[in-house]
Amino acid sequence: MAGAKRVTVMSPSTRLAHARRRVRGRWRVPRLDPADAERALALYRAQRARGVAALVLLAALLFGLPVLLSGWATLEQWRLVGIPMSWLALLVPYPVMMLLAAWQLRRAERIEDS
Amino acid sequence: MFTVIAVAPVVLVTLLIGLRGVAAMRTTSDFLVASRGVSPLLNSAAVSGEYLSAASFLGVAGLMVKDGVGALWYPVGFAAGYLVMLVLVAAPMRRSGAVTVPDFVEARLASPALRRLAAIVVLMICALYLVPQFRTAGLVLMAISDTPYWVGVVIAGASVSATLALGGMRAATYVQAFQFVLKLVLFIVPALWLVLQTSAATQDEALRPVGFTEFATDTPVSFENDVVLRIPTATTVQTDDGQQRVLPAGTVQVAEDETLHFPQGAQVPRVQGLPELGGSDWSGPLLNLRDAGYPMLGTIAVLLATVLGTMGLPHVLMRFHTSSDGRAARRTAAFTVVLLGLFYLFPAIYGALGRVLVPELYLSGMTDSVVVALPARVDPSWVGTMFTALLTAGAFAAFLATSLGLLLALSGAISHDLVPGGLRQLRITVVLAAVVVVLLAFAARQLDAGILVTWGFTVAAATFCPLLVLGIWWSRLTATGAIWGVLVGLGVTSTGILITLFGPAVAGWLGILAAQPAPLAVPLAFLTMVLVSLRGRPPSWAMTAMLRLHLDERHDARPGRSLPGRSRTDRSTWLTRRWSTARRKGRRLVR
Repeated sequence: MAGAKRVTVMSPSTRLAHARRRVRGRWRVPRLDPADAERALALYRAQRARGVAALVLLAALLFGLPVLLSGWATLEQWRLVGIPMSWLALLVPYPVMMLLAAWQLRRAERIEDS
Repeated sequence: MFTVIAVAPVVLVTLLIGLRGVAAMRTTSDFLVASRGVSPLLNSAAVSGEYLSAASFLGVAGLMVKDGVGALWYPVGFAAGYLVMLVLVAAPMRRSGAVTVPDFVEARLASPALRRLAAIVVLMICALYLVPQFRTAGLVLMAISDTPYWVGVVIAGASVSATLALGGMRAATYVQAFQFVLKLVLFIVPALWLVLQTSAATQDEALRPVGFTEFATDTPVSFENDVVLRIPTATTVQTDDGQQRVLPAGTVQVAEDETLHFPQGAQVPRVQGLPELGGSDWSGPLLNLRDAGYPMLGTIAVLLATVLGTMGLPHVLMRFHTSSDGRAARRTAAFTVVLLGLFYLFPAIYGALGRVLVPELYLSGMTDSVVVALPARVDPSWVGTMFTALLTAGAFAAFLATSLGLLLALSGAISHDLVPGGLRQLRITVVLAAVVVVLLAFAARQLDAGILVTWGFTVAAATFCPLLVLGIWWSRLTATGAIWGVLVGLGVTSTGILITLFGPAVAGWLGILAAQPAPLAVPLAFLTMVLVSLRGRPPSWAMTAMLRLHLDERHDARPGRSLPGRSRTDRSTWLTRRWSTARRKGRRLVR
């Protein structure tokens, strides 16, 4: 037994496929079925419209909040249970982003269900 | 001793789960993407587990002590990145059927040159991100248990590469998901304990920051890095061997491994490039980067780098390929926003308490150890030691999980994209790559890990982010445009960081742009890609290639509910076409 070469058991076609060099380099992008192409185009446009809306909201949150905080210095004086409001403002994005994610997920899936 | 007991189970469980994954490993697809059978919830736990690196577990609280409350913008950006991913990338990326990012690029633009370039960018990002992970492993173990630096690095390298070489992505998925839960518990429980344990006076002090101007007690500060201090008035300090040393007013360079004992009542020096600890710049809600006086620019720069950089991190993108379909990938991204949001509510507690309880770390530059140093300061008995041990275990889990993903992406780029080979070659590549990274980590002990991570994030934001966004949503993108855009993004980012690391000191807003080049590099990369693409002509199949990414798989998933109006013959030709595509892709993967 010792020294005997171990051989993988496989079908002849698998062996052939394994022996062949893998296809690399240029390959043509497969064509889309006309009906699929139509559906893909509709999905693409719908997702793009919804996506831009979600991104605008996110950008408003992420870049609006620093502007708001820098312009509103008195916020540092206000406190909620002893914590400065301006510090709490840095935790606000998380719940908002969770809601935004849930909302966007539902809208994106609804488009594909239709 | 406690630490060993805490860290050993984490390492052992990692190895055991790795062994479990060996059974079902036959192809590179198994190895790289767990054969795409990972459910959204498990996958999002794994994504979060992978993403919460030492930089999140230890770094955010450390940055808060160092740079001020504004450092909390970093985690906001980290979490927001997944929202952008959900909107723009997750589903189309998965639907491309690729295994790695370079694969995706080739599927969309059919350019072997771009594929190789993308693979090199993957290598660069992974290396920049992986070296700090290993370095932190070494430093944390060194700080806790007096082992030399190299021991921790080698332990980290060995356990990560063993797990991966044996179990591949399947093992990595379970390890990372397990470690996410571990990290969440090990981070939140000590935080709550700290809040309960500290006195009301300490908490009040933490919430009403005042400038750290005078030492309240005799304070020893051991410097682990070279630091430039600005001394307000000449101060007499004691060195470790009991000698007196007078620090003259002005700037003083303190060397690594020096320990200075500052007497009670002495004035606290400022650290060059950092805001005054607890001062008004520190407690302001914006990030005053490098103490340059441009908080708005600093905040925006960090947000851009973290949000868009997250989108381009190759190890994170690779995780999305393990989902079963585009819809599952999208759900994974959404769940991840929730999971990360939960975790990031807590670093602020460590940061705020750390400023009050361990302010000397601000001087010594060892702010990364704030989280681990806190429990012992609050409760010197065995309880504090236990919590230190738990936090160390969590930190170790953090860099194990992140390193797993990064090493996998790194090996994938080498052995799947650059020098294609089979499963055995992938396994060997994993081990070799780990050895190289361990060696790099030995050399990187002196470097500021934060700069390396920023570099990695910004490269990702300025190369893969425009490449993916334009590739998925703009059919006119050409391969030439993509190549030029990637080169410009890479060039601008690296120039900025290299100037920060080795060049002359740049002050003001230019200094911020050099240290955080995202606001410059990302728009430039986008612009280059668009302009060069508009000058060229996209191939005739470009529109099809892009639309394929947006076509959902629901016909496959639910064969009973085919589209109304689709005749039987129609469906069969459609299926054949689908299958031939699958077979061709399969040929490239199997072996």
